[in-house]
Amino acid sequence: MERLEVMWQSRPGVLGWLMTTDHKRIGLLYFWTTLVLFGAGGVEALLMRTQLVKPNNSIVSPETYDQLFTLHGLTMIFFFIIPMTTGAFGNYLIPLMIGARDMAFPRMNALSYWIFLASAIFLYTSLALGMAPDAGWFDYVPLANKTFSPGHNIDFYALAVIFNSIASTLTAGQFIVTIFKSRAPGMSFNRMPLFCFAFLAASFGLLFALPPLSADNIFLFLDRNIGTHFFDPSHGGAALLWQHLFWIFGHPEVYILIVPAFGIATSIIPAFTQRKLVAFPLVAIAELLVVFIGFGVWAHHMFATGMSTTALIFFAGATSMVVIPSTIQVFAWCMSFVLGVARFKTPLLFIAGFIFMFVTGGLTGIMFVAIPFDQQVTDTYFIIAHFHYIIFGAAVFPIFGGMYYWFPKVTGKLYFERPGQISFWLIFAGTNLLFFPMHIVGLLGMPRRVYTYPSNLGWTTYNVIETIGGYLTLVGILVLFGNLVWSYFRAPAAGPDPWHGPTLEWTTSSPPPEYDFAVIPKVSSAYPNWDPEDREEDRRKLAGGVLVLDQGHEQVEVTPVDGWLSRVAEMPHESPWPVLLALCLSLVFVMLLLQHFAIAGLMAILCVLTLLGWHGKEPEE
Amino acid sequence: MRSGLLRGKRALALVPLALLLAGCGQKQNALAPASHQSSDIASLFWWMTGVAFLGLAVVVALLLLAWRRAGRRGAGGDTQGPKPGERVGWYVVVLGGVVVPILLISALFVIANLFVIKTTEAPAANSTKRTILVIGHQWWWEVRYPGTSAVTANEIHIPVRTPIRLEVRTSDVIHSFWVPELNRKIDTLPGTTNEIELYADAVGRYRGDCAEYCGLQHAHMGIWVYADPPATFARWLARQSRPAAAPSGSLAAAGRAAFLNGACAACHQIRGTSASSGVGPDLTHVADRKTLAALTIPNTPSYLHDWIRDSQRFKPGNQMPSFGQLSERRIRAITAYLEQLK
Amino acid sequence: MSGYVASSVERPSKPAAWWGMVILIASEATLFGAFIGTYFYLRFRAPKWPPDGIPEPRVVVPLILLAALLASSIPMQLASNAARAGRLAATRHFLVLALILQAGYFAYEVHDFSDQLKTFDISRDAYSSIYYVLLGADHAHVALGILFSLWLLWKLTRGLTTYRVHATQGIAWYWHAVNALTLVVILTLLSAAIG
Ligand code: HEA
Ligand code: HEA
Ligand code: HEC
Ligand code: CUA
Ligand SMILES: [Cu+2]
Repeated sequence: MERLEVMWQSRPGVLGWLMTTDHKRIGLLYFWTTLVLFGAGGVEALLMRTQLVKPNNSIVSPETYDQLFTLHGLTMIFFFIIPMTTGAFGNYLIPLMIGARDMAFPRMNALSYWIFLASAIFLYTSLALGMAPDAGWFDYVPLANKTFSPGHNIDFYALAVIFNSIASTLTAGQFIVTIFKSRAPGMSFNRMPLFCFAFLAASFGLLFALPPLSADNIFLFLDRNIGTHFFDPSHGGAALLWQHLFWIFGHPEVYILIVPAFGIATSIIPAFTQRKLVAFPLVAIAELLVVFIGFGVWAHHMFATGMSTTALIFFAGATSMVVIPSTIQVFAWCMSFVLGVARFKTPLLFIAGFIFMFVTGGLTGIMFVAIPFDQQVTDTYFIIAHFHYIIFGAAVFPIFGGMYYWFPKVTGKLYFERPGQISFWLIFAGTNLLFFPMHIVGLLGMPRRVYTYPSNLGWTTYNVIETIGGYLTLVGILVLFGNLVWSYFRAPAAGPDPWHGPTLEWTTSSPPPEYDFAVIPKVSSAYPNWDPEDREEDRRKLAGGVLVLDQGHEQVEVTPVDGWLSRVAEMPHESPWPVLLALCLSLVFVMLLLQHFAIAGLMAILCVLTLLGWHGKEPEE
Repeated sequence: MRSGLLRGKRALALVPLALLLAGCGQKQNALAPASHQSSDIASLFWWMTGVAFLGLAVVVALLLLAWRRAGRRGAGGDTQGPKPGERVGWYVVVLGGVVVPILLISALFVIANLFVIKTTEAPAANSTKRTILVIGHQWWWEVRYPGTSAVTANEIHIPVRTPIRLEVRTSDVIHSFWVPELNRKIDTLPGTTNEIELYADAVGRYRGDCAEYCGLQHAHMGIWVYADPPATFARWLARQSRPAAAPSGSLAAAGRAAFLNGACAACHQIRGTSASSGVGPDLTHVADRKTLAALTIPNTPSYLHDWIRDSQRFKPGNQMPSFGQLSERRIRAITAYLEQLK
Repeated sequence: MSGYVASSVERPSKPAAWWGMVILIASEATLFGAFIGTYFYLRFRAPKWPPDGIPEPRVVVPLILLAALLASSIPMQLASNAARAGRLAATRHFLVLALILQAGYFAYEVHDFSDQLKTFDISRDAYSSIYYVLLGADHAHVALGILFSLWLLWKLTRGLTTYRVHATQGIAWYWHAVNALTLVVILTLLSAAIG
């Protein structure tokens, strides 16, 4: 034990954080960064809502409004949900759930965080300079071309999105390999927690969805800056090419947003119903399937572009299939609620709320399968309602629930239940007030992305209600965080396992030690913490020094499918290279933005040199 | 199938939502259809909403049931050993999560995408008596009547109860033509012509908006469709096809001169004069229109005057500069001239 | 590894680093998939491909070059095998051989690339845009592979360690993947000559 402490100890102070490769620290860095960005996206949203509170309002100018909704969309999707779920929750929890001591490539993990941080700073610099992207989060050409957007706004968009997707790709690859290779021996694929299935699905989604987006943005950047003609119909290009590539990314992306939330839900439900999840194998398959089918439905975002009816019908057909994995899961969750003994504590309340919101938003999603109906409501507030129900209700609610659920694990403290429940009800009421009227106002003809609207179309009342709901949501979120902060200082200690949770993270102390587990745990089911004999055996192994791996910075590797022990690998420890590499990469992007292509090339060489340094010191044998 | 397989079957129309949506001015309301296309879509919506609420109700019922049963047994009992009720769980999951959704969605798919879609489909070329061409501009609509010399902006006239083939194009970025009470929307794509049918059941005026974000003034890109009795329409079209009348009175004559010799002619066309640019809307019969700048302001002499003097105030960022530097006399004169262009 | 007492049987499996390389290749392949998809999307909308005024791509020379490049996979694999067998000298020799083939290919291609830019430049039309982007992206990957090999050679001047054996294997893998990509890319571009 003492040896483990020494081997895994990290440097104190800021330097320790800069050089850290500990998945828990990286997870926390992600958490705080994305939280700040969530605040930024939320402030942007509330500014929009304030502008829309009455007709012909002029709190913000049209220029500002356009930047607000574009940044809001970009921030919430690329800089909040993805990094919050994968970066924060995934990083912190995956190794703990599979009984590992760290990610498979700890330095790459750090690199992904620093690149993410740099890309966020890069994007928000544009706001400070008054040049934030302003062509919407899907940034259609030709509006995004040099002709119609001459400023640097769209260059910021293209580069920030590519930059950010490098970080996400690293994270995704990292998770896949970690889940394949670093599970505790005995955890075969069918004994893996659903949380890990979900993150595996999301990671595969990211891995294959991001390259088309990068390709698209490379084309855009080249069209804008060196005069290529990918999107220019007068020179053989096609404006629809942008849309195809964007949505080939964009639709899988929305499932990438939701699947980790499924994972969180399937962690909380067994813990708070004290029952193994109903239809576990079906749910596991559904989690993978939803992402897979999600790659074949992209053109349902383009139903009004005048594509051939045959093509529309094909994509509508695919869209109707993608629904089935979701309905399976909804009923599996609901039946687990019914068949178990549901304790409606705050985390479970958020999950119940999530189910309600997800079903509501999912049902409007199904309506879009009806092509004529979609063509009627597309680009109106009805769409905004659909995806906020799903995104806020179904992706953010579980994030909030997860914050409560794992708060004791991360901080070692319990949280206060009463204010927790209050925060849930405030947020639940707030979001429904905020987003439900959007359905109606959309049907009444209100297009999206309008900075103001006339007074005589009957939209005003709904907009007022929405704005009130927005502020109510803010209050709820503040109560939530206030409660957590208060709990951190005042609440009683939690102990290792306050919920009698099913998965491995509850077997270790709260907060977990730097090496996560004193002994690599034994696993013989998907609910290892509910297998008392196995935990008993862990204690025996620890006493006997079996699988303690205290001779170095060591971790086991297993066979990917069956989870047989394969070898013990030495893991890299703290390293300055990730930060440095991210820094050099930022310079590349800044130079690209400034159109100093030669200097950008030099900076790229600098990156290569950094990589040389990174690989300079070989691990000892 | 054509007009309204689904019509009249709104028994499922949900009372609360219906109340919220009724009586809301019916200005740009997808649920106040005035054509068979729009009405089929609206029926589709009500049916889907009805079934959707049932689905939601099932889920909420299950959650409430769980709430009721929460105090049933001591916690912790089910974590080991066999999973109680697993078989029932599987039945419900397979039935509710696979079988029922497949049935419902298949039905929806067939009705919507094989039948209803036919009514909303674009008519084939030459299948209608008349084709109208609409061209989106940042941020107004150009309207042409092929076969005549009529050109107007933002206010389309069509004969009532007559299918019209609408061709949409763009002169710059993507816009989307959308008049919800008449039909679904259709995007205008660069380098492409898209089509849609326009049909109105009743005489009246129907409002629409540009639905695809197209830049700064996307919010002010409205359109009106007037469905006129055929005779009225024919008269209107004949009037629109004529060149502009000569100005009467010295003020208007001065206005005409100022218009043609000043900057205005660089952007606008007035048929019958030397002004023939296509940058801004055709003003040959501008006084015939009820609004200015894509429904942004009413077309009254004082608004017209103010528009010329300071168009940027009403529609910040629009492509017509403010002409505050022109003398008040000139603006008055131009206004007087344009007012005569009926 | 002394604290470790085998409690279960050890099964051999690919190391994490191998999986990492698979992931990298999958992501690169998808990027190229998007490029190639774009190529055909643009192509099937174009009335004439390549457009008037652009010469059809030459077929013979690129195919010969391609063969040379593909051949370099053989010494690469031999190097990897030799490294695993612990034969340092053989590893180095095969690596040098592969490097010569790679560098020859690359030098000619770069020369050709800049030559073609003089006949029709990248901002001419959509064909030239995707043509050069696709080709350029592929060349960049070849260049990266060459850098890898150089780095490896440099490492190998100071003997063979487990780490370097793994690196040799990984780089051989990367190289095979780049070759496969190049094959697809070149065939895609040459398809303009037959269509
Ligand atoms: C987390 C993100 C997320 C998720 C999970 C989804 C889920 C779904 N989405 Fe959504 N969607 C978005 C985020 C998301 N969406 C966003 C951001 C946009 C807009 C982008 C933009 O334009 O800016 C969008 C837009 C969008 C469109 C394009 C609309 C348009 O612009 O015209 C369509 C069209 O088909 C669609 C469909 C669907 C469908 C069918 C699902 C399905 O997966 C839903 C499945 C779920 C259920 C079905 C619920 C379970 C229900 C039950 C258990 C009850 C029983 C059910 C039955 C009887 C059927 N979505
Ligand atoms: C994850 C996705 C996500 C989330 C959570 C939200 C949340 C919200 N969104 Fe939305 N939204 C999008 C994704 C999201 N949105 C997207 C993709 C678009 C389309 C953009 C486009 O068209 O291009 C959009 C568009 C959009 C519009 C349409 C704009 C238009 O078309 O003109 C509106 C309008 O009301 C809106 C409002 C809101 C509101 C009020 C919230 C609120 O729920 C927000 C509430 C959050 C807060 C109030 C923040 C509180 C947080 C803190 C206080 C943190 C504290 C931190 C520390 C202490 C460190 N959003
Ligand atoms: C640089 C080009 C330009 C010049 C010069 C210009 N206009 Fe315009 N004008 C436009 C554009 C573009 C619009 C459409 C604005 C919109 O709705 O977004 C417009 C709209 C109008 C309209 C409203 C038309 C309608 O049906 O909505 C009037 C009237 C008008 N202009 C008159 C004038 C007069 C008078 C002058 C000269 C003093 C003038 N314009 C000079 C470009 C120009
Ligand atoms: Cu035109 Cu929006
Ligand atoms: Cu989608």
